[in-house]
Amino acid sequence: MTKEEVIEVIKRNIVENLDDVEADSIDATKSMKEYGANSLDMIEVVSTSMRELNIKIPRSELAELGNIDELADKFMEYINKG
Amino acid sequence: MPDATDFSLADFHLNDNPNVLEPPADYLEWISDPDVRQAFTFFEQQLLTAPRTRSEILSNLDRERRPIINLTSYNYLGLSTHPEVLQAARETLDRYGLSASGAPLVSGTFDLHVELARRLAEFKQKDDCLLFSSGYGGNLGALQGMMRKGDVIAMDERSHKSVIDGATLSGARKVFFAHNDPEDLAAQLEKHRDRRILVVLEGVYSMDGDLCRLPELADVADEYGAGIYIDEAHSTLMFGENGRGVAEHFGMEDRIGVSYGTLSKSFGGVGGFICANARLINYLKGYSSAWNFSCSPSPPVVGGLIKALEVATRDSTLRDRLWTNTEYFRSRLDSMGLDTGDCESQVIPLIIGPSGEKLFRYATAMQKRGLFLQPIDYPAVPAHRRRFRISMSSQLEEEDMDRALNIIEDVIVRDRD
Ligand SMILES: Cc1ncc(COP(=O)(O)O)c(C=O)c1O
Repeated sequence: MTKEEVIEVIKRNIVENLDDVEADSIDATKSMKEYGANSLDMIEVVSTSMRELNIKIPRSELAELGNIDELADKFMEYINKG
Repeated sequence: MPDATDFSLADFHLNDNPNVLEPPADYLEWISDPDVRQAFTFFEQQLLTAPRTRSEILSNLDRERRPIINLTSYNYLGLSTHPEVLQAARETLDRYGLSASGAPLVSGTFDLHVELARRLAEFKQKDDCLLFSSGYGGNLGALQGMMRKGDVIAMDERSHKSVIDGATLSGARKVFFAHNDPEDLAAQLEKHRDRRILVVLEGVYSMDGDLCRLPELADVADEYGAGIYIDEAHSTLMFGENGRGVAEHFGMEDRIGVSYGTLSKSFGGVGGFICANARLINYLKGYSSAWNFSCSPSPPVVGGLIKALEVATRDSTLRDRLWTNTEYFRSRLDSMGLDTGDCESQVIPLIIGPSGEKLFRYATAMQKRGLFLQPIDYPAVPAHRRRFRISMSSQLEEEDMDRALNIIEDVIVRDRD
């Protein structure tokens, strides 16, 4: 799976979990906060994305991430580990 | 795959087990890991006596009955075992029995409930009061009853779960602002200028023991025409000249729209309440489900609580003693160079840092020495600020405090040095 595909998964889950956001308008260099996500929304997006990608990353490792792109990098790390 | 101890309860909320009667498969694997099981042994240890500062537990560490100094129970003023409170509870029990046997609108309202609500409203200097059977249920019911889809609830990021759940149930948009940060609150509210907004604050934040910056935050709320709701769970009967809470402490009670309190902490009973203007309380009786669709508080508890309020407010003896104890304990912790964060109250965090291993090793050693001080782990607190949370009590004698401090010094300070 490529990083672009991972970003698509994250974007789809953002659209499903937040009101009034369209996938095309999401810029991966930004934080989900900019699209109106609160901390609970972000947990939901991350959990549902991880489920779809079949990976499991401890929440404690995700606390420091700043934007969608960094989240995708983190996901890639775990996808490549298998 | 990371270590089992890297995971926490934060990681298993989503359940995709096809069998709805089972937890997630990976949760079961995680929970049976020896290190995780060791950490979980600290949960649900049985107290064998009243939650006084000297008590006895059945330790989960070794199944021993062990006398302990209790710095964990939030019996701040010792009212749960105050002789006058117990006598009042006994008398009400004899007269009214154990249960109210009804929801408040139908048959669960006794003269007792009306009296406690009236006294609480008078105490908080509001028109009226609604009593709930649980503190959690009070925040849940009040927020669900007040707010609607399309509204905005702005909460501090360290808000208690009962506030967050009440906000979720209401259907309002949940907005979190950075802890105690008026500028961030303003930035968040700016995005929702045209909405009905409620700003929810806590008098004392329960994991850190710091106070809300009420003057600055209230100014922001006013600027945006927002109502103010304050949770005084850990401050009622303790802060302010007359013990009315942090709003009294700051001299700002008239700017608070809804004042929430729990009856389980300083009051020594169980239940919750909100005080507000009479029109809102009247409206909530029809729309606050945790009130309307739940049995009224148990009569002996209510009888005891009426007395507890009287005992705690007839003079300042209990809270004076609490503050003397708190000052003594804090200054001794400070002189040992321990990290108590931004503590400003009787809730004293003892911050250990990122190591879960240390946290549980210290907790085990302290308990075996006779100090009941429960570890607070991630996700209840940030992973790099794992801690113990000390609840001070007016009941503590200097001798108990010195013993507790000695144990803390032997276990934590010696390990550090
Ligand atoms: C800030 C805060 N609000 C509400 C509650 C709920 O109160 P109770 O435990 O009485 O249900 C608590 C305590 O658990 C709390 O710390």
